[in-house]
Amino acid sequence: MSKIDENEILRRLKLLSQIEPASEATDRTMERVRNTLMGKEKGREDSGTRVRQFPKRPIAKFAAAAVLLIALGYVIGRLTTPVPDMEQLQSALESSLRASLTKEMDQRWQRAFTANCIKFKDELQQQVRRDLTEFASKTLAASNTLTEQHLIQLVDLIEAARERDRQQVAAALEEIELNRLQDKSQIGSGLVALAARTSKLRDKKPN
Amino acid sequence: MKNGHGKLLELLEKSGASLHTLLTRLTLREDVAEELIQELFIRLTNSNELDKVENLGAYARKAAINLAFDWRRSQKRNALGLDRLNEPASNDNSPLAKLVQREELQKILNAIEQINTPAREVFVMRYIQQESYDDIAKQLGKTAHQARALCSRSLSHLRNILGSNKSGPSGKEIQNVED
Repeated sequence: MSKIDENEILRRLKLLSQIEPASEATDRTMERVRNTLMGKEKGREDSGTRVRQFPKRPIAKFAAAAVLLIALGYVIGRLTTPVPDMEQLQSALESSLRASLTKEMDQRWQRAFTANCIKFKDELQQQVRRDLTEFASKTLAASNTLTEQHLIQLVDLIEAARERDRQQVAAALEEIELNRLQDKSQIGSGLVALAARTSKLRDKKPN
Repeated sequence: MKNGHGKLLELLEKSGASLHTLLTRLTLREDVAEELIQELFIRLTNSNELDKVENLGAYARKAAINLAFDWRRSQKRNALGLDRLNEPASNDNSPLAKLVQREELQKILNAIEQINTPAREVFVMRYIQQESYDDIAKQLGKTAHQARALCSRSLSHLRNILGSNKSGPSGKEIQNVED
């Protein structure tokens, strides 16, 4: 860690103290918290008006409410109508139960979502960072491999060119040697011819 | 319980904005501050000890500071070091400059995280919320002298954590804060 003196610490603390959230963000947050508080209070009031003898578990409350509703419906049906309309009773019960269950589930989901939202965000962020790091390391490894392959190809090409140059130089030297030998034999035969002609000329001179 | 709900609504109207600002400063993220303040009020709503609390504002602020530092602790694994950048590449508001500045603030906050909880609260109130020693003392039931001593000790602790125990030319730690 780099060394930080007191002035630097105070400077950074000053910077921190000057951070202000956007007013829209603050308003939005306040509104959201207000709504949550109102929603929770409403939910509490709703649950408070129900039968107070079963406060422990929501499922017990629902069961008790269902039993009471069924009993009430049965009694009312028996007393008011000679032939109870069971279908109507059932549908009324169903709709009532469905409405209360839906509302309760919505509230539960909202609470759970609110509580876990930040956790999910953090997990998602960590996952993205892990993925990016992994992708970067893979890309780096692939890039290294590719560079290595290109270098090997380059070395092969240089080696082949050098080999070709060596062969061409050897061929040239061989050609020079052949020319030298040819020149030597031509000069030799020329000298022989010259000697022969010189001898002939010397023989002719006394005449 | 309805009374508690009323108190919370009152607290929200009175201190909600300042709590949000505090959380933004401690987390350096508005979205996280929003979530944390939501979580704070949910916890307060579910708390059974709300009626026993004398100073709800102070209680909420302390809970908010703890929440923020808990969140920071959970984030530690993701820290990307920029130690190699000793000086900013430019003086403008480029993304890199912002990133470096953000990293500097993260370092300070990570160091503050290591201060013990009571001293940390005083330190945050003094240096991040810019409150006077008298106000801090009044809110926390301490004397101004005690608050000043706690801040001084925390600053010394910070210097140790951040690798330098030399006092700056300013000498007195109070000069940076507007009373």
